[in-house]
Amino acid sequence: MNLDWSIVWQSRWLLLEGAGVTILLTALTMLIAVPGGIVLALMRGSRFKPVALFATGFVELFRNVPLLLLVYWAFYVMPVLTGLGLSPFATGLVALCLNVSAYNSETFRSGINSIRKGQTEAGLALGMSKGEVFRQIILPQAWRRVLPILASTWVSLFKDTSLVSVIAVGELAHTAMQIRSQSFRVLEMLTAMAAIYWLMGYPQAKIVDWIHRKYGVRE
Amino acid sequence: MTAFARKNADKPPMLIYDKVRKNYGDFTALDGVSMHVNSGEVVCLIGPSGSGKSTLLRCTNALETIDDGEIRFEGKPLPKSDTETRKVRQRMGMVFQSFELFPHKTALENVAIGLTTVRKMDADEAHKRAMALLAKVGLADKTANYPANLSGGQQQRVAIARALAMEPHVMLFDEPTSALDPETVGEVLNVMRNLADEGMTMIVVTHEMSFARRVANWVVVFERGQLLEQGPPQQIFEAPTTERTREFLSHLGWNG
Amino acid sequence: MDFDFSPLLDSWRFLASGLGLTILLSIAAVITSFVLGLAVALGRLYGPAWLRAMLVFYIDSMRAIPVFVVLVWIYFAVPIISGYTFAPFWAALTGITIHVAAYVAEIIRAGLTSIRKGQIQAGLAIGMSTPQILRHILLPQAIVRMLPAFGSVISVTIKDTAIAAVIAVPELMRQAETVAGQTYRPIEIFTTVMVIYFLIIFPITRLVDRFYIRVAYLGRS
Repeated sequence: MNLDWSIVWQSRWLLLEGAGVTILLTALTMLIAVPGGIVLALMRGSRFKPVALFATGFVELFRNVPLLLLVYWAFYVMPVLTGLGLSPFATGLVALCLNVSAYNSETFRSGINSIRKGQTEAGLALGMSKGEVFRQIILPQAWRRVLPILASTWVSLFKDTSLVSVIAVGELAHTAMQIRSQSFRVLEMLTAMAAIYWLMGYPQAKIVDWIHRKYGVRE
Repeated sequence: MTAFARKNADKPPMLIYDKVRKNYGDFTALDGVSMHVNSGEVVCLIGPSGSGKSTLLRCTNALETIDDGEIRFEGKPLPKSDTETRKVRQRMGMVFQSFELFPHKTALENVAIGLTTVRKMDADEAHKRAMALLAKVGLADKTANYPANLSGGQQQRVAIARALAMEPHVMLFDEPTSALDPETVGEVLNVMRNLADEGMTMIVVTHEMSFARRVANWVVVFERGQLLEQGPPQQIFEAPTTERTREFLSHLGWNG
Repeated sequence: MDFDFSPLLDSWRFLASGLGLTILLSIAAVITSFVLGLAVALGRLYGPAWLRAMLVFYIDSMRAIPVFVVLVWIYFAVPIISGYTFAPFWAALTGITIHVAAYVAEIIRAGLTSIRKGQIQAGLAIGMSTPQILRHILLPQAIVRMLPAFGSVISVTIKDTAIAAVIAVPELMRQAETVAGQTYRPIEIFTTVMVIYFLIIFPITRLVDRFYIRVAYLGRS
């Protein structure tokens, strides 16, 4: 077996850039999917049936199909739907947002439902509006339950961004796979890719554990 | 028996219930209840569990909507719109069986939250008022505590202060001592008695018969969603007119 | 814009064979992941210190590395090291199992440790050994409590099998790509396949949740 690890060092700037795109994609997706999840959760609770039904369908569909398929689907459907030629990055972002918004919606819904009804009634009895009750009483309490789950979702999302590599988004996985096929240094590049994901993901997993310990609900 | 004159009977009643009905599916929670509450009165609602007394209270501030009949508050029927309902609720204070303090707010913030969010009062002024109210219920030294660090009796007193902060015209108490340890029941009842002495109009759903006997001006007995009988406490507790009332009271160990 | 679903009719056998393989791979991966996951959980809870340290490292690493990377590494890199070439199906099964088992292990560990101490003491008090307590008291309650999490593991596993497409396992996702490429009807093909996946995954998670609601009382102590 003849190995040449220098290829990893030679490609360090490309790999670093790929890692940057991975982080950017993760952060942007979360930035959109957190408010997206809240809106979907509120829509599911709407008294106006078509709105609730639409949100339920959206959430159940996009969290019950493989993300890889969603990426391909977005790649072909988005241009037709929007009439725009979206960049691979934008397409990948859309696919991730559809998926993670659906997950976050469930996270917020269960967080909101975990606050007992009496809390809402106590707010209403003071003369608060439903919006005031939601912002002042429900959301601050639900937040403690929601935050640890959002943190776990963040790490899953960080890993899932690797799947948009199939539509040539230049994040870490795609960059590493490209260098692999150009240099034929398969073992070296694949190992380097795994190692970089590990180096980035491991601390994130540990931070998630810490958040769970700090905020976790003990039954 | 001499005729009993209810308090402020010469003035229009504060609350009038006219043939109020409420169903939950097949279950009839309120089956045509008619009664009234005068201003300054303490009215106790008693009766077995599930007889409809809590439901009537929750309908009063529109936490539940009634299916038929009418509830009039200060001369006007309860409004339909959300905004008007909120205005009515500000004139009614409610105290829940399970306190329902907001766990993410301190005692002081719990009392002030209605003033700051609903009345849009500035925080300093609201906190000053909240401080005075907590002192009034005997908790001046607990203002910075979170609900988790208060006993049940203390939490319920904070909840009473929270309701009083809105300067309500009537206070609704929904079994305020049922979830309390026996040793803290007294402190809550004392606060309520002081409130009654100040002339606050109060509707109290309770199983505390000695409180009803001593503090109430008027007692209403419920059974199966219907009003079994009503009258001054002397009459209800010493000479009930129905056999069912007598049975209910003797079940509770009440013997005159 | 017009849709043409006729390519689906022409290639339904091809897609159906992919569906069959997706189901086979899913069932196999769920079984192997649970067996490995249970072993890892028990090793982590009751094993010697060095084993516990290794297993913690393994679990946390799998939480950090994408399953895509694990699959690709096993399929392309392992043969270079070992000289032994995997068939794509076995590489996929191995990769998914290694990944999912780490999650299963965490779920089982959390389930076991969530049972109150009093239950163990009650077992000890009637003279049970640790394995007996585990088998007769802890595991039966813990399994019930873990049901909702197991439901989501099954759904994650099925979704992960789609990633096997990147190492050319001819399962549903891969077959869909092939048909879409040949017929130039990607929207129709991918939309249909999305519905198929949904119709498999959604009812499974729902059924597990329903079942849990019916048996939840068995896990409350």
